[in-house]
Amino acid sequence: MAVIETGKPIIKNLNKTQKMVLASLIFATALVLAVVESMLPPPPIPVPGVKFGLSNIAVMYALFFLGWKQAYAIALLKGIFVFATRGAIAGALSLAGGVLSITVMLLLMVMFRSKISYTGISIFGAVFHNVGQFTVIALLYAGMNIWAFLPILLVSGVIAGIVTSTLLRFVMPAFQRLV
Amino acid sequence: MKFFKKSDILIAAVLLIVSLGVYLVYDSIYGQSETRAEIYYYSELAKTVELNSGETGNFSISQEPDVVFHISDDGTIAFVESDCPDKVCIKTGALDSVGQYAACLPNGVVLKIVPAGERNVEDPDIVVGR
Repeated sequence: MAVIETGKPIIKNLNKTQKMVLASLIFATALVLAVVESMLPPPPIPVPGVKFGLSNIAVMYALFFLGWKQAYAIALLKGIFVFATRGAIAGALSLAGGVLSITVMLLLMVMFRSKISYTGISIFGAVFHNVGQFTVIALLYAGMNIWAFLPILLVSGVIAGIVTSTLLRFVMPAFQRLV
Repeated sequence: MKFFKKSDILIAAVLLIVSLGVYLVYDSIYGQSETRAEIYYYSELAKTVELNSGETGNFSISQEPDVVFHISDDGTIAFVESDCPDKVCIKTGALDSVGQYAACLPNGVVLKIVPAGERNVEDPDIVVGR
């Protein structure tokens, strides 16, 4: 666990090829997590379509311990995968949420460094994942009223952020074995 | 960087309070007003229905006859039939207050509730891409 607390783990010593292989393994993990999540019953809340975003665990691992390029690459690949399997709209939603979420998490990491925790970053990541998706829905379809949905976006983001960062904490040893 | 910090509780609390505040302000402005449902087909307004007129029944829009809506006598509107695979639109349930929406993204149909009466600058709608 000392590896986790100090931030930059063993991954620093990897060469380019090893990093690429690791990124693709994490991408595969993200896809598996998305499949697992689709098999779980939806969270018991009255709002449809809201989920924890378990595959964000893999994206966050890539962002925190591998590098921002790999994190963006995984979000892009995931967008393409969703586009291929579930259609253009779902792909655009996945991509917009993923890219905005990574951008915000990256900014927070650079701005606050050790002053913010992974959980804090994860909460903002989840909130902006929601905001990105909502923006695409509003752009593609009729003008939506963001104020009516902001409470839902914020609350579900806070819960999802805490859930994913807690899970990341527990699956971390498994991820480290990939290296 | 640590996994948890005390400041996380503060972050979560601030976000929750903001969302509660937005909800309360929004509800106090639009909670009790008369409502109207607008049905959009790919960002194009396809149909407008008054919800408080007492009329009930099923209907659909000409662009997408496979999607059926139902208005109940309590002034709510809902998707009841759709040929989409996931039925998220139907699972959304009945809508009755301003700002709620239900969407059938595979069919490009969006149902949303707006204040009754003419659209004006006071409306909170952010209209984009039209």
